[in-house]
Amino acid sequence: MKTVFIAYNQALTEKVEFVLDKLNLRGFTRWNQVQGRGSVDGEPHMGTHTWPALNETILTIVPDEKVAPLLERLRSLNSKAEMQGLRAFVWNVEDAI
Amino acid sequence: MRIYETAVKKPITTVLIFVGVIVFGLFSVRYLPIDLYPEIDPPMVTIYTYYQGAGALDIETNISRILEDQLNTVNNLKKLSSISRDNFSLLTLEFEWGSNLDEATNDIRDVLGRVESWLPDGVEKPIIFKFSTNMIPILMMSATAEESYPALAKILDEALVNPLNRIEGVGAVSIAGGPVREIQVNVDPQKLEAFNLSVEQLGTLIGQENMNLPGGVLDIGSHTYPLRVEGEYKTAEELNQLVVGNFMGRVVKLSDVAVVKDTIAKMTFDERANGRTAARIIIQKQSGANSVEIAKAVQAMLPDLMKNLPPDVQLETIFDTSEFIESSISSLSSTILYAGIFVVLVVLFFLGRWRATFIIILTIPVSLIVSFIYLYATGDTINVISLSSLSIAIGMVVDDAIVVLENITTHIEKGASPREAAIYGTNEVGLAVVATTLTVVAVFFPLTLVSGLSGIMFRPLGWIVTLVVTTSTIAALTLTPMLSSQMLRKNAPRKRGAVKWIFDGVERFLGGLDNFYERTLTFAVRRRVLIVVVSVVVFVGSLFLVPLVGTEFFPPSDNAQIAATVELQQGVNIDQTRVVARKLEDLILEKYPEVELVSTSAGSAQEGNIWAAFGDNGPHVINFYLKLTPSTERERDMYLLSDLLRTEMAAIPEIEDFRVDAGGGDGGMGSGASNVEVIISGYDLDETDRLANEMAEVMRGMGSLRDVDISRKASGVEYQLVLDREKLGVHGLTTAQVAMALRNRITGMTAAQFREDGEEYDIVVRYDEQFRESLTEIENILVPNNQGVFVRFSEVGRLEEYFAPPSIERENRQRIVRVTGTLYEASIRDVVADLRDSFAQLEVPAGVVMDIGGTVEEQQEAFADIFLLFGLVVLLVYIVMASQFESLRSPLIIMLTLPFAFTGVFLALLVTGQTLNLISLIGSVMLVGIVVKNGIVLVDYTNLMRDRGLSLIQAVVVSGKSRLRPVLMTTLTTALAMLPLAMGIGEGSEIWQPMGISIIGGLMFSTMITLILIPVVYTLFGANRMRREKQRALQMEEEI
Repeated sequence: MKTVFIAYNQALTEKVEFVLDKLNLRGFTRWNQVQGRGSVDGEPHMGTHTWPALNETILTIVPDEKVAPLLERLRSLNSKAEMQGLRAFVWNVEDAI
Repeated sequence: MRIYETAVKKPITTVLIFVGVIVFGLFSVRYLPIDLYPEIDPPMVTIYTYYQGAGALDIETNISRILEDQLNTVNNLKKLSSISRDNFSLLTLEFEWGSNLDEATNDIRDVLGRVESWLPDGVEKPIIFKFSTNMIPILMMSATAEESYPALAKILDEALVNPLNRIEGVGAVSIAGGPVREIQVNVDPQKLEAFNLSVEQLGTLIGQENMNLPGGVLDIGSHTYPLRVEGEYKTAEELNQLVVGNFMGRVVKLSDVAVVKDTIAKMTFDERANGRTAARIIIQKQSGANSVEIAKAVQAMLPDLMKNLPPDVQLETIFDTSEFIESSISSLSSTILYAGIFVVLVVLFFLGRWRATFIIILTIPVSLIVSFIYLYATGDTINVISLSSLSIAIGMVVDDAIVVLENITTHIEKGASPREAAIYGTNEVGLAVVATTLTVVAVFFPLTLVSGLSGIMFRPLGWIVTLVVTTSTIAALTLTPMLSSQMLRKNAPRKRGAVKWIFDGVERFLGGLDNFYERTLTFAVRRRVLIVVVSVVVFVGSLFLVPLVGTEFFPPSDNAQIAATVELQQGVNIDQTRVVARKLEDLILEKYPEVELVSTSAGSAQEGNIWAAFGDNGPHVINFYLKLTPSTERERDMYLLSDLLRTEMAAIPEIEDFRVDAGGGDGGMGSGASNVEVIISGYDLDETDRLANEMAEVMRGMGSLRDVDISRKASGVEYQLVLDREKLGVHGLTTAQVAMALRNRITGMTAAQFREDGEEYDIVVRYDEQFRESLTEIENILVPNNQGVFVRFSEVGRLEEYFAPPSIERENRQRIVRVTGTLYEASIRDVVADLRDSFAQLEVPAGVVMDIGGTVEEQQEAFADIFLLFGLVVLLVYIVMASQFESLRSPLIIMLTLPFAFTGVFLALLVTGQTLNLISLIGSVMLVGIVVKNGIVLVDYTNLMRDRGLSLIQAVVVSGKSRLRPVLMTTLTTALAMLPLAMGIGEGSEIWQPMGISIIGGLMFSTMITLILIPVVYTLFGANRMRREKQRALQMEEEI
């Protein structure tokens, strides 16, 4: 089991959800309307007058074998519009109830 | 914080705000006047111009036409009509409803000022009249007397009129028909001739003798005394001793040439109540006064006043509007009460919980009372219109509370605390509740924009329902969640006993109903095409019912009054007329036990009387007014009785023409039947007369019309004294002198006023009756010329017989003849078609045109208004729904219920024998808003189920089953609340019966169809939705 944390521009909400549905990944926790900015480049998403865009984040726990296809699809989604901004991070799940 | 959240968290504030509203409402009720109808000022102005001595034709050319040509330019004028009769012209200007009459009257005055110089000399100043409902008497009584009859008018004046006038709000008390005292000096012309005297001399002398004059003051010593001559007559006998002249050295006294009689004036008017000699007492109210209160005050005062009357004088009420108002109001109040009870029963039946029922019922008084505040603020009254608006609204006010409470209960049963359940439960349905209210408002608000006569009726309806429903929504969003949070508990099992047995039974029944509906629905969605085809066939089939239902303008209501006008042959005198009147009275009283009172007036009020100009009047005319027992206490309704009366009258040979108006024909709304007018316009009097007679024949032959009447009366015989000017000149006379002499001898010369006890009576000098009964006697009249020589009429002129039309009517500056008929048990549309056909078959010369008028005209205008309104309402409702669903398709599915609402309306009207009229049409317009509510609930929930991922068929069946109860509940509350109205219990409420019937019929039928057809159509459109989903997925795939 791996934890995948996806942070992306609000505009991509439907598409990210579609990707999860496609891979039969049902469970997730989502925060909408969060602020954030990239470490390297891209526009900050701060929800202010200067930077009006906002982010959304999803935290989903997936079986190990689903991580690769998920990341691959997310990468392809990101490549279609680099400027929108989409990042995903994976780490281990220690325990669960 | 949202409104319901605030309400739940601040229960005291919420309760107190509503308490405040209720207190203010009760305060308004206390000061609201009660009336039958809202105040109506018909947009009409009448101009009366008097020109003594001119015939109808002269009046037409010299006055009516000139005034018409000039007044035609007045703003907003809709119709201009005139009647020209002997001696006067009567112009009626009809304006658009809602136009400012004050402004119009000012314009008219300007025009009259301009025109005045063009009118012939001797024309009196035109008089302007405006009418309003305030002029309709609120109370009419008849006073009968035997021995006291000669002095009746005076007795009534002192004992009744003055005290009654002091009651606050009484506008005018007038007495009609009582005899008037008159001192008559009846001259013998032969004796006058012998003594060389003339009537004028006698008159002048009598006037000069009757004089009191102060002579000045007289100083005697240290005092001053006034000095005066007192010559006024103390008794009528004094007149006998007057010295009127000298003859051969001896004095001639008045008693030598005339007989002085202290008697009552010759009656040109005969007033009876149930055959006894009577006078009529008419009481009018002031504008804005409370009819019921005034009538009550008058009735309360009467017993005291009766004590001052001689024992043979008896008072009887002919009609008392307050009786009708009170019974109408009380029957409507009980209608509202019944409606309330039905709503309580339905809610209790479905919910089975007392507390929940209480919370829902509480919204009824809170919402309804707001309408009283509205009435008070706008200066309206409690009347039939405002109360029926309330009874229409009552079924709808609980709907929102039901939806909110049901959802809160669901949350509580899932384990939420009442407080959180109240907030979240309201949040979930809040938007839907507001949306359903908006659809109702979308229907009723446009009603406030209706113009014309129907506008006066429906504007308060629109406002009241809009306000009440809005308030009910506010209450459902604040009061209901607040009370739920305080009062609702998680349902404990019921205690044992009868209550448990009943509610468990109900629960089982409802469960069974749910399952039955589920099975039916499952069957229906599998045979979609069949269902759709059957539905279309049902709707199209119902359209064929429309001709069977028939149309009319306004539903007639039985107000227990019949008015009848009987005309004998033109020229018949009052004595003969009186005989016929007695005969008819006896016949009516004997054959019709339903008649409580017959009030008869025969003859004309007074010559030159302005009121006489407005009605049919003359010595040969009898007016009957019959008061019947209340409609609930008799088997035969007033229309049947009127028809029987017509047969009776037709059988009496002396009667030349008659009309019977069921409902009193006072033009009050909802009373009386509708009439059709064939208006023939053309200049040639003979041609149009012929056509009118032929048309009247045709109309009499049609079984569907009664009381066919031609407005232009047959030409009457009149005698003219044609003077030879040459001979006049030779004898030193002028036309004026001769005319005046004729008038003084026949009509009489009012020589002086005899004063007694502060009252004045005319002293009239004229020929004794026996000397003015033949043409020879007229020709023998002597008139003195300026030299004092007496000349006989026969020497300067001769009497000639003439035929002249008594009246000429014009409309929009063209001569017209109206042939009117009252509709009897027939549809107006068929009658009009028949009339047009038969007119086309007549021989019509060029320039003569036929037109249909009467109620039909108004009907077409009002119907056009209603259809416009209907279109507007449908559009508004669609907009409201489309914005709620954020979809163009869902509202379309919901609106499919509408045609079936009309199927239901037609069916219900056909079964109950009602017609398609203004009221049932308004009911149908209301249905648009009411019927879609069910659809909204159903489609909204189905959309929800689809979103939650259920398959199409599954979603439809599941949501159908779960929404069945709320749909049935709101339908039943609305329909049952309308039931008392539809049954037309009590007097006065019959007017609204067709509305109740059409709403119940339409609602029930459309609900049945909605529950099956809408899910079926949803599945048809739903397939579309699946296709759309697939496309979207494909597109998404591409984008990733």
